[in-house]
Amino acid sequence: MKLLIVEDNKRLVQDMERFLKESGYVVETALTFERANDKIYLYQYDLIIIDLGLPDGDGMDLIQTIKDQGHDTGILILTAKDALDDKVLGLDLGADDYMTKPFHNAELNARIRSILRRHKFNRSNTLEIDALKVDLLAAQAFVDEQLLDLTKKEFDLLLYFMQNPNRVLTKESIAEHLWGDHIDQADNFDFIYNHIKNLRKKITDAGGKNYIQAKYGMGYKFSTHE
Amino acid sequence: MRKRRELKLLSKTTFIYLIFTFLAFVLSGIFLTHEANQFINKDLDQYFARVEHRIKWALEHGRDLDRLPSNIQVIALSQPVVLSAYPQYGDTLTYNPGLDDMQRARKRVIVFREGDRYYRTVMTKPVEDYFRFRDDIFRTVLPAFIMLAVGIVGFNYLLSGYFFRPFNKILDLMKSYKVGQDTEVKTVDTTTREFNKMQDLFHQMIHRIEHDYRHLKEYTENMAHELRTPLAVIRNKTENLISDDTVMTRQSSAVKIIYDEINHLSRLGNTLNLITKIENGEFDNPVWVTTRPVIEKHVEAISELAELKSLSVETDLSEEHRLLIEPYLLDIVLKNLLRNAVSYGTAEGPVRIITGESRLIISNYGPPMGIPGEKLFERFYRNNNSRGSLGLGLSLVKKICDVSRLTIDYRYEDDQHIFRIQPSATS
Repeated sequence: MKLLIVEDNKRLVQDMERFLKESGYVVETALTFERANDKIYLYQYDLIIIDLGLPDGDGMDLIQTIKDQGHDTGILILTAKDALDDKVLGLDLGADDYMTKPFHNAELNARIRSILRRHKFNRSNTLEIDALKVDLLAAQAFVDEQLLDLTKKEFDLLLYFMQNPNRVLTKESIAEHLWGDHIDQADNFDFIYNHIKNLRKKITDAGGKNYIQAKYGMGYKFSTHE
Repeated sequence: MRKRRELKLLSKTTFIYLIFTFLAFVLSGIFLTHEANQFINKDLDQYFARVEHRIKWALEHGRDLDRLPSNIQVIALSQPVVLSAYPQYGDTLTYNPGLDDMQRARKRVIVFREGDRYYRTVMTKPVEDYFRFRDDIFRTVLPAFIMLAVGIVGFNYLLSGYFFRPFNKILDLMKSYKVGQDTEVKTVDTTTREFNKMQDLFHQMIHRIEHDYRHLKEYTENMAHELRTPLAVIRNKTENLISDDTVMTRQSSAVKIIYDEINHLSRLGNTLNLITKIENGEFDNPVWVTTRPVIEKHVEAISELAELKSLSVETDLSEEHRLLIEPYLLDIVLKNLLRNAVSYGTAEGPVRIITGESRLIISNYGPPMGIPGEKLFERFYRNNNSRGSLGLGLSLVKKICDVSRLTIDYRYEDDQHIFRIQPSATS
């Protein structure tokens, strides 16, 4: 999977690049509109992450260029602007998703995966780690072919973990992923714990390992080695 | 202090004008009456002097005084009188047989001495016509004034609509003007100089306001943009640290504080940005929203949290209850109030959401807060023990209610915190 990050902040680009490479993608970057434009003409990408506020051009114009190329490229808008109009316009032009800064890397990863899955429909609709298998289309999870009886939230949670294996997912990131911005108070993180407790129990009851570990009271990590 | 009554400008000028006109009419009436009196007296004096002269002549020349007109009587007196007491004047009433009426008359009594004889002469002259003529002055001046007054008032009433039409149009334009809407403000065509001056000033002000507003908006947007990217960098770097066991075993508490504060900061930025947008009127497309489905959606979203806290949520929602509000803003209001109710609610009783009779009430049980009700809606005013809260939620709700012409109030009653939203009384 080949990604292009179009973003003018060097540090942010480096950070995202490193993170996404660790997640197994081939990543290229463009710091300017010009550079991004050239790359889009020259190469083919599976997904392009675009920052709208570039110093030498409007990221919106890049979306049009990508669409004109006719490749089946996923587009994820990443912007500091929190304007509803921009969001609507971006999605109308053909972007697949829209994220505002600051974002969680794990969330970015989850969104990228979901876009790629939609675009490369026939390639893989299952995700397997160790004895765990998730069928994304049917929204089902299995431990050694044994179906787990998960609630919607528990399934989303498990998927989020499996999309970001061996990484600490902070409570904030999990809350944002599962409930949008509905939960933003520290004392409400209790019920993330509740969900995780239930999920863990269901996996271990079905004979799976205890994959999900608490980390420093800040978050949880999905890890294949106990 | 007694409230001073407001009057229309035109009514004021008319009122003052009428007072002056009234004074002018009265003064001219007095003046004319005075002139008329003088004229009458002069005329009568001349008449009496003529008659007196003739009688004197007749007496001196020993003429017969029998054929005098009936209004002149000459009587020879038997005794002498003091001459200096005469002539005597006076107004009297005489009978006029032709009109069969008593009429006013001027009487003059004089005494002559002819030799050693005294003659007393009484002359009367009807003055009814004179007096009528004199009194007619006031009788015509007053109706004339009243006619003029009625005319002016009526004229003003009819014309004020016409003359003030451009003024009212300009006022309407001012009223409907909204900052940052980028619409061309129409010019009202008028030949009245004052209105044109006002209109020019209005346009200049709009120009300045728009200019300042654009700058402020750009500044806010840039600020948000410039802050967010570094925040994203810091947050991602911190998340990397969190994934790094060697760092975390030694510095987990420091990293945790940094991470918490970043999250606080980014939420703060988002919320302040939202408040600014609301203040700028960027969400200004209110529609009539039937609240029931919206509230049900929010109750559903919060039910998980309520369950975890063993709180029950009771609703009594009217099908008819509607609010005129931008749907996005209604979402924010409900989200904040419900989240507060569930977060601070205690298990003594349910969280209740009731709609009906154009009111929306959200209540929860809990101990009193020790914050005065009106302070509750101020920015950054929060309970000491609500650590994770921004202290902006209720001020955001208040702001939204304000721009949507809704009133929100809070009271504490029967161990319950009760928020009520209803349309503002239109004043």
